[in-house]
Amino acid sequence: MSDEVQLVMPADPEFLRLARVTAMGLASRLQFTIEEIDDLRIAIDELVFGLIGTKGRPGQVTMRYSLLDSGLEVRGTGAFEDGVPTAGLTELSELILDAVADEHELSPDGDRPTFRLLKRRSAV
Amino acid sequence: MAFDQERRQELRELFVSFAETRDERMRAELIEAHIGLAEYLARRFNNRGEPLDDLVQVASTGLIKAVDRFEPERGLEFSTYATHTIVGELKRHFRDKGWAVRVPRRMQELHLRLTTLVSSLNQDLGRSPTIPEIAQAAGVSEEEVLEAMEAGQAYRFTSLDAPVPGEDAGGSLAASLGEEDDSMTGVEHRVALSPLIAKLPPRQQKILHLRFFEGLTQSEIASRLGISQMHVSRLLARSLAQLREDATEE
Repeated sequence: MSDEVQLVMPADPEFLRLARVTAMGLASRLQFTIEEIDDLRIAIDELVFGLIGTKGRPGQVTMRYSLLDSGLEVRGTGAFEDGVPTAGLTELSELILDAVADEHELSPDGDRPTFRLLKRRSAV
Repeated sequence: MAFDQERRQELRELFVSFAETRDERMRAELIEAHIGLAEYLARRFNNRGEPLDDLVQVASTGLIKAVDRFEPERGLEFSTYATHTIVGELKRHFRDKGWAVRVPRRMQELHLRLTTLVSSLNQDLGRSPTIPEIAQAAGVSEEEVLEAMEAGQAYRFTSLDAPVPGEDAGGSLAASLGEEDDSMTGVEHRVALSPLIAKLPPRQQKILHLRFFEGLTQSEIASRLGISQMHVSRLLARSLAQLREDATEE
């Protein structure tokens, strides 16, 4: 099984809720527990903020959610118009992501910075 | 909120002493003396969809900011200065929490109901419940459970946990009101990682430490601190939002 859902949103914190809610809905379908869903939400916040910064920036973020047998994979790709380098993750963000995600990476290079997140589900 | 002439003079002198010494006891007395002003202004913003208790807490945060920042040598009356600061804080609360304020009461109530329900499901199942399990137990749809979870993050449940800006970097309103907190033990090294964390109220620092540094689950933290898992979730979300806000301001 590998269904995919895509969401394109402005690179503005105002729209981050949509990215979270989409992930929560899909994770619920995958029988994630409430704590795993909370972890997922935190991870998405950290990674999207890593792309767009805390104030947002001109452009868009495309979110791709893949429903895997093992869990949920989320990929984000930024397309920005400001020519500003992506700040990436702080040391604290890395630490938070280590605790809440099974796998994560953010590549801040170039015009199209990306991140990838994998959250596995526990056997309920 | 009117003081007699003698008391007013007393408070003026106290402000001058506090400006020089930054003495905690004087600070507490000044806050206490003007808390009526915060309550009065909070009531003026009542009936706009936010509980009065929350508004009083927001106004109190504004009052504390005003006490910390007031410069008596400028000759302005404190009540004038504080009114401006407190009203600013209340307006900012409504502006920043624009979405939060619009969370329907039904969702707020469902969130509170789920808080208890998730705790008992946790116990019954011996693990964290899934959304379908919670929905079934609550008699609502899965979407409503998810919406209530999200609402819990947006809604300002306990502004008492809000950090108090100013000299007392680790303090919260709750702490300044005299609530005991033994959560500061063993959490020193996270401060080195981020001085911003040190600005959070002690309990939120403790929760961040347990979750992200020691790797405890939310349920484990909940049982260690004697609060619900969903309360831990709210406090985590709030802490991270606060850290982000502070990082933006820096």
